[in-house]
Amino acid sequence: MSKNLVELIRRHHAQDAPTALEVLKAAVEDHGAITDDDRRVAAERSGLPEATVYGVSTFYDDLLHPRGQRHVRVCTGTACFAATGDAHVDALREGFGLELGEKAPDGAVSLAETVCLGFCHSAPAIRDGEVIDAGPDAVQRVLAGRAQAAAEPEPVSLLAEPVLLREGDWSGLRAALADTPEALLEAVKAADVRGRGGAGFPAGTKWQFTRANALKAGQAFIVANGDEGDPGSYIDKWLMESNPVLLLEGMALAGYAVGAQHGFVLTRSEYPLSKPALEAAVAAARAEGLLGEDILGSGFSFDIDIVEGAGSYVVGEETALLACLQGLRGTVSARPPFPAERGVHGLPTVVNNVETLSNIPFIAREGAEAYRALSPDATPGTKLVCFNERFARPGIYEVPFGMSTRALCEEVAGGLVDGREIKALQIGGPLGGILPASKLDTPFDFQQLAAEGCMVGHGGIVAFDDETDMRAVARHLLHFGAAESCGKCFPCRIGMRRAHDMVAADAPVDRALLDDLLETLELGSLCAHGSGMPAPIRSIIAHWPHELGVTA
Amino acid sequence: MITVTINGTEAQVEPGTTILDAARALGEWVPTLCFDERQDPFGACRVCMVAVDGMPRPVPACTTPLRDGMVVDTQDPVARRVAGAVVELVLSELPEAPEPHTELAAVAARLGVESTRWPGPTHPVDDDTRHPYLALRHELCISCGRCVRACDEVQGTFALTATGRGFDANIAAGLDQGFRESACVSCGACADTCPTGAITEISLLSLAEVSYA
Repeated sequence: MSKNLVELIRRHHAQDAPTALEVLKAAVEDHGAITDDDRRVAAERSGLPEATVYGVSTFYDDLLHPRGQRHVRVCTGTACFAATGDAHVDALREGFGLELGEKAPDGAVSLAETVCLGFCHSAPAIRDGEVIDAGPDAVQRVLAGRAQAAAEPEPVSLLAEPVLLREGDWSGLRAALADTPEALLEAVKAADVRGRGGAGFPAGTKWQFTRANALKAGQAFIVANGDEGDPGSYIDKWLMESNPVLLLEGMALAGYAVGAQHGFVLTRSEYPLSKPALEAAVAAARAEGLLGEDILGSGFSFDIDIVEGAGSYVVGEETALLACLQGLRGTVSARPPFPAERGVHGLPTVVNNVETLSNIPFIAREGAEAYRALSPDATPGTKLVCFNERFARPGIYEVPFGMSTRALCEEVAGGLVDGREIKALQIGGPLGGILPASKLDTPFDFQQLAAEGCMVGHGGIVAFDDETDMRAVARHLLHFGAAESCGKCFPCRIGMRRAHDMVAADAPVDRALLDDLLETLELGSLCAHGSGMPAPIRSIIAHWPHELGVTA
Repeated sequence: MITVTINGTEAQVEPGTTILDAARALGEWVPTLCFDERQDPFGACRVCMVAVDGMPRPVPACTTPLRDGMVVDTQDPVARRVAGAVVELVLSELPEAPEPHTELAAVAARLGVESTRWPGPTHPVDDDTRHPYLALRHELCISCGRCVRACDEVQGTFALTATGRGFDANIAAGLDQGFRESACVSCGACADTCPTGAITEISLLSLAEVSYA
C-alpha cells in the first residue's frame, strides 16, 4: 500500500473527508453508473489523485456493474451452485433476456452476478433491489416482480451455556475494566483463541505485537473483518445483524487490551442489513456510555465506525481489507509490514474476524480456563458452523470443536434432503480442500481437517449431493478464483485464469500441466486466494480423477 | 549487525536488510520483474523466490527481511521452478514476445524460458500514442506496478494507477484519457522503469525520422 496515499488519506480523514470509495458508492447508488465527473468529485472530496480514484472505480463489483432502475443480482455462490448447478442463473438470464453484467436498452432492468448473499440455507438466492429472496421458487417470484424477503435462520447452540449465541450485554467489558489491560491480554493469550476467519492465527499473539507497537506509536486501531466473502458461510452475517453488541463489546475489549481508542467494522455490501444493524447498536451503546469517552468512568475511551465494502472477495484478506477500509483498491500488500505494525493510517492495527472478536466477551467474563473447557481436548472455545440448503436442517449451529464431521452432518443437520447422499463436502470456504463422503468421520478441528487437505476456515459446510459433477465443481471454483483475483501477484492474476480455462475446456485435462500450474499458484502466490485454491482442485484430482477427465 | 549465509557465503548485514538486497550485494543473481531499487519492494511478480532453511516453501527475496542465522539458497530448484513457471505465465499473456532489450526478455532468457506451456487469451491491443513523448502499449503491461510507484514514490505526481483486477488488470494515466490529459509532467520515470516496453519514450530522433520520411 502506497505510504504517500495512506498519509494523504490520514490527513483528509482528520478533516472528516469521506473516502474515495464512499463517494463513488454514493454516486452509483444515485445514478446507476460512475462518470468521470463523479471521479473528479471523489478525488476532490477525498483528497486523492484523480488517477488513484480511477483505479478504485475499476476494481469493485458494485462500481462496475451497470444498474437499471431495477437492479437484480443473482447469487453464484457455492451453495447456490450446489442447489441448482447454476440453473437459476440461466433461468434469470433467459427470463430477463439479459447477460450477467448487462442493462436492458431502455434502462428498466439490469442483471449482475454476486457472490454470495449469505442465504445458503435456502438457496438459490436473488437480490432484487433491496429485497433478497431465496428458495426454489425465488426465480419465478423475481421474474414475476414479486420478490419477497427470505427468512433469516434461527441459530441453535449445542452447548448448555451458549457463548456466541448469548446476546451481548457488555458484562465482559465491565469485568475487564475492573482489572488491567495486561490482565485481559494475558487471559486472551491463555485462552489460545485461534482466528475464526480462515487462517487460525492466535489472536493473543496479534494483540501482543500490536500492543507493543501501540505503546511506541501512541495510537492504534481495532478492525473487525466482517468481509465474510466465503461462499457458503453466513455466520458473521448473523453475528453482525442479530447479535451486534457481542461484536462491539469484543472490539472494545481488544481496544482496552492493546491500547486502541478507535475501531472499524468492515461489512459487505452483499449483506445490506449489516451496516444499519451495527450502526444502531453503536448508537445505543454510545447513549448508554458503553462506547465513547471515558467508558463507565474507567478513563478508557473507545468508539467504532462502520464501513461497507463494495464487492470483492479478496478484501477479506487483511491487507486488502485495510486498503478497502481506507477507500483504495482492495489489493493485497506483501507482509511485512504486518497490520500490527502499519495498518489503518499507517498506525498499529489489530485485524480480527467478527467471530473471533465475538469470543472475547466470554473470556473477559469467565476467564481463560472456562473458555478452554468448552471443547475438551480440542481447539479452545466453540465454533459456529452453518450448512447449505442440501441439508435437511440447514442453518447455524454453535458446536464444540472435535465433533466428528459425520455427527455434524447427520445428527445436527439431519443429513441431506430428498433422500440424497453426500458425495463431498467443502468446509470453510472456497479455498478449503474437498472432503469425500468416505472421510466423514474426520473430527471437525483445525489439525485433523488439515491432515485431509481441508480446513475449518469460516465454518461453512457445503454439501454436494450424489448427482454433482465434480468437474463442474472445479470449474465453478476456478471461475470464482479467476473473477476474484485482485490482480496484484502474477501467479494468481494469470495462473487462475489459465487453470480455469484448462478445466472449462471441452477436452481432457493434462494432469502434469495442471499439477505444475497448481504448484506455481500454491508456492508463488502472495496471499491465500492464489495459494489456497489448489487445495480443492487437488482434492478433486485425487478423489474423482475420472470425472475431471485428467490424463494419467 | 546480524550474520546470515547466502549460497554458502557468510555475511554480516544490518537488521531489516532484505534477502534480495543482501544477495545482490554479494553478487548473486536473483531474477526480479516488479523490483526497482528506487522504490519500496512490492512483492507482486514472485520471480525472486528463494529457499530459506527451515521454511516449508520458497519465499520472495524482495519482501523477506533477513534474520540472524538465516541460511538462504537463491538457486533452490523448487524456487527456480516456480520463478520459471511465473515467467511462462507472463509470456502467455502478451500478444507478442518482448523486445530483446527489455528486462523481461533478459530474465526469461537467463531462466531459460522461451515459450509457455499455458497459452491462452492475451491482452487486447490498445496503443495510446496521444502524448508527444510517451507511448503506452497496454497489451504489453504485466501489472508489475513499477510505473505507478515511480510516479508516486520517485516523482510524487500520482498520474498513474493500476486498473481492473485479475487477468484484466492494467494501468491508466489520469482518468484513462492518456498521459496528456493527466497530471503527468513528462518526466519519463515510468518509461525508464518499465520492464516490458509497455511505456516507452518516443525519442526526438524517431520523430525527426517520421517528419522527414
